[in-house]
Amino acid sequence: MKTPIPHIVAKDVVKTVQLTESELTILQDIHLTINQGATVAIVGASGSGKSTLLGILAGLDQASSGEVYLAGQPLHQLSEDQRAELRARSVGFVFQSFLLLPSLTALENVTLPAELAGMPDARVRGLELLAQVGLSHRADFFPNQMSGGEQQRVAIARAFITKPAVLFADEPSANLDSATGEKIEDLLFELNEQQGTTLILVTHNHELAQRCQYRYLMHAGHLAAEQPKATEDKRHVG
Amino acid sequence: MWGKIAWRLFWRELSRGELWVIAFSLFLAVLTVVSLSGITESVRSALFQRSANFVAADLILRSSVAFNEQVQQQADQLELQSARQVQFNSMVFAKDLMQLVSIKAVSAEYPLRGQLKLSSSVADPTKTASLQQGQLYLENRLFSLLNIKVGDSIELGEKEFIAAGVIVEEPDAPLSVFGSSPRILMQLEDVNATGIIQPGSRISYRLMFAGAQQQLGLLETQTKELLGPQDRWQKMDRESAIGGALDRSERFLLLSGLLGIVLAACAAAVAANRYSQRHARSVAVMKALGATTSLSRKIYGSHLLFVVIFSVGFGLIAGQLLVLLSQWGVAFWMPEYLAEFSVRPLALGMLTAAICALLFSARPLWRLAAVPALNVLREKPDQVKFDVVHLASGSVAIWLLMWLFSGDIWISSWLFALCLLFAALLMGFAALLVRIAKPMTAGQSSALKLALANLRRRLWPNAFQLITFSLALFLSLLLYFLRSELLDQWQQQVPQGAPNQFLVNLTDQDKTALQQLAKAHQLRLTEFYPMVSGRVLAVNGENFADEATKEKPEQRQGVGRELNLTWLNHLPDNNKLESGQWFSTDTKAEVSVESQLAERLQLKLGDQLQFSVGGQLFEAKISSIRKVDWNSLQPNFYMVLSPDLMQGFPATYITAFYLDMSEQELLNQIVRQFPTVSLISVDTILKQVNDIIAQVSVALTFILLLVFASAVLVLVAQVQATLEQREQELAILRTLGAKSTFLKAALLYEFAALGALAGLFATLLAEVLLAAVQQQFFDLPYSPHWNLWWLGPVTGVVLVTTLGAWQVRGLLKMSGSTLLRRALQN
Repeated sequence: MKTPIPHIVAKDVVKTVQLTESELTILQDIHLTINQGATVAIVGASGSGKSTLLGILAGLDQASSGEVYLAGQPLHQLSEDQRAELRARSVGFVFQSFLLLPSLTALENVTLPAELAGMPDARVRGLELLAQVGLSHRADFFPNQMSGGEQQRVAIARAFITKPAVLFADEPSANLDSATGEKIEDLLFELNEQQGTTLILVTHNHELAQRCQYRYLMHAGHLAAEQPKATEDKRHVG
Repeated sequence: MWGKIAWRLFWRELSRGELWVIAFSLFLAVLTVVSLSGITESVRSALFQRSANFVAADLILRSSVAFNEQVQQQADQLELQSARQVQFNSMVFAKDLMQLVSIKAVSAEYPLRGQLKLSSSVADPTKTASLQQGQLYLENRLFSLLNIKVGDSIELGEKEFIAAGVIVEEPDAPLSVFGSSPRILMQLEDVNATGIIQPGSRISYRLMFAGAQQQLGLLETQTKELLGPQDRWQKMDRESAIGGALDRSERFLLLSGLLGIVLAACAAAVAANRYSQRHARSVAVMKALGATTSLSRKIYGSHLLFVVIFSVGFGLIAGQLLVLLSQWGVAFWMPEYLAEFSVRPLALGMLTAAICALLFSARPLWRLAAVPALNVLREKPDQVKFDVVHLASGSVAIWLLMWLFSGDIWISSWLFALCLLFAALLMGFAALLVRIAKPMTAGQSSALKLALANLRRRLWPNAFQLITFSLALFLSLLLYFLRSELLDQWQQQVPQGAPNQFLVNLTDQDKTALQQLAKAHQLRLTEFYPMVSGRVLAVNGENFADEATKEKPEQRQGVGRELNLTWLNHLPDNNKLESGQWFSTDTKAEVSVESQLAERLQLKLGDQLQFSVGGQLFEAKISSIRKVDWNSLQPNFYMVLSPDLMQGFPATYITAFYLDMSEQELLNQIVRQFPTVSLISVDTILKQVNDIIAQVSVALTFILLLVFASAVLVLVAQVQATLEQREQELAILRTLGAKSTFLKAALLYEFAALGALAGLFATLLAEVLLAAVQQQFFDLPYSPHWNLWWLGPVTGVVLVTTLGAWQVRGLLKMSGSTLLRRALQN
């Protein structure tokens, strides 16, 4: 059996924010190891700190203390720009509210990360991905001309264009009706499987979480592992 | 790579209308600067060219001692054209008759500007002639005064000359409407032979120069050290009607141009803020997708750069076109005008754009790039905080622009402080009013109450909006009222039917004959002012110095020439007593002095002045100081004596009347009937003043339009800045069941209330400033502006409501579901 490679590692991660008179702890002693190609769900109620954790793991934010490694790089030691460059190379995102740039067409939104990373065949690859998400006919449409489901499909295509090693998805189907939401989830898992991407999914939807190999429960800043879906190596648990 | 993304985003934003307000604001600022400074420069150069014709040169150095040869050398080095002139008074003799004349001896190069027309025939001015050695050309009336004809010989000093003809037109003839001795023109080389110039003679030496503006400027600065107290550069006369009109219009244009630019810059700042707020999400997304802060800065910074290039390009072209148009207009009323291309307005326009862009608009875009990538995970991104640096950089920019445009650090600092004070006052007022509105918003719901509640809830953004609305309205109102007042004032100076023909040197017999002639032709003669020439010798027994001397610097300097003295029982119409009492019927030996002269000679009430008239000395006590309107084109006098003093002096008289251009033939008749009387027509001067007024009024209307356009831009930018928030609120209210008509009414009330408040503040400010500006800047009397009090608030309500409703019309048309969907998406 092939030895899994740890892809994301968090050690003793703490996140606090300074309020006017006191200090609020959002994340407490987080330990986590995620292997390459794994699908992981972080579940929790609103305000439990799951999005904060996603931000830290993706290098969008920094922990107050502790160490975080992404694709072998120590995020806690990198500057903001170095983290941005790492994201450009290795990370993809799908957000709850799609977050497409309103002044760019569907195709241009998809190719934007590739262009930022300086990839040469962005347009060809963008058209391919739009075809894969079933939106070839919408390539020149602007976000406000598309439905919510279509916008999220564009966002998924955008997330995969740089062939990222890790994909972070923040409540990808929360803003959609259940039928459309399911289609989007299918698409996400399908592309993820095709590309062998590590998927970290933040959701409060337990059904969606069930589709992941590993699930963690976030509660009041603490992270706890739920039982794995199948027989899995437990080393991923921090 | 980033260039491609930046360019694509730029075009998309441009077509979505996001950048237009910034672009148009910068365009307006550049257009205003280029056109205003260009047009002012054209008008100034036209007037300079014209006034150069009046003094026969571009620049004149006058001296009472001798030609300043060092200055001449410097001028030669600068390759300026030059000519020389000597002026003095002397007696001429023809057989047994003699006459005091004013003589002008000129070098061959004279005149450098304008035209000298001489004729060899008294009756026919078209028989052109040129000045030769041994010849004198005489003013027409001298031929009858001396009883000679062309070709006769006359004596001047020790030399005999031929009276070769008449002076038809000389460019630097005195424009004064007062009488002067008859004039004679001769060659400079002949002067020595007359033996008139002796040590101590009263002579005026004039070095005349002409050439490029820059070289002339250099000559003035390079020769500063070479001038003695007796040397004086002759400038365009600021006290003349033309000089005064130009002076006022220049100040006014600068001041109002500044207002438009500051407004446009504010609109650009507000629009840049909104742009940056609207793109905060996009920047966060790009940064999450791997863009660094510096890359985001390049992308969004380049948008501003593209806008600046675009706006400056169009602004420069449009501004220059307007300048060309104005030059064409100038050439229309002044055919000899030579239009000059000047780089200065263009450079000034680019500098203004740079200041506006860097200090007003760059800061929000700089901050935009610093939006954290983490914002993608936040449902509600951070509200953009109040930016002290932006406020500070904007303020510095306003001050810099004021300085750049007024060229005066004090005026700019003063204006700037005033603006700050107004802003603080308005902020306080707004806060107070919104607080007062609180109890009114309690209780049952109505559209009006919702509107008031909305105003209250957005207290600080509204206070800021109120300030900008008020300032925008205030500037437009101020300009509108100042413009009409200035124009009225100017028109009054040259009223229809104002005297345009002056008759000088009338004797008592002429007076009677002229009155008969006037009666026959229905001419309305003004008063006959008696006149004698005299000198003011001393005050309280202390002699005045004729010229500034190094030997006795403490000695008070006198007028240095003869004054025309008159005596009157009553105060002339256009004179105002500043202090003292006017003569009564039994007044003895008193004099009334013009206020500026009194100041120059340091005279005060009660001082005893000694006069010399025709060799006789007498004294008079200063009993009043008068303010004289020198622009009035009426006979004006520095000294008016009490009538008792002048009994027995042989006086001549001056009078004036209005004659329509179509009745010019009558003038010839008068000249023939009264050969010893000088007729001075001020038609040309009046026409010039009218022309300037017409030009300036066009320029003012243009500026008013610019300021108004800028004000509208500020309003648009401000309302746009609140659109997102309004959209969300509308979505909520619609979802909660509020009817479209109710919401529409609430929105309209809100804008109307803002407009009314802004209009009221604007009116208050405009009234205060109108009073101050009228009295301090333009020297006009203050009177309240009743029209302003309804026009201000009404304009405020109509303008703000219309613009506001126009901008939110899209929102109001949206269905509840569309609003909700958009609100959720955002």
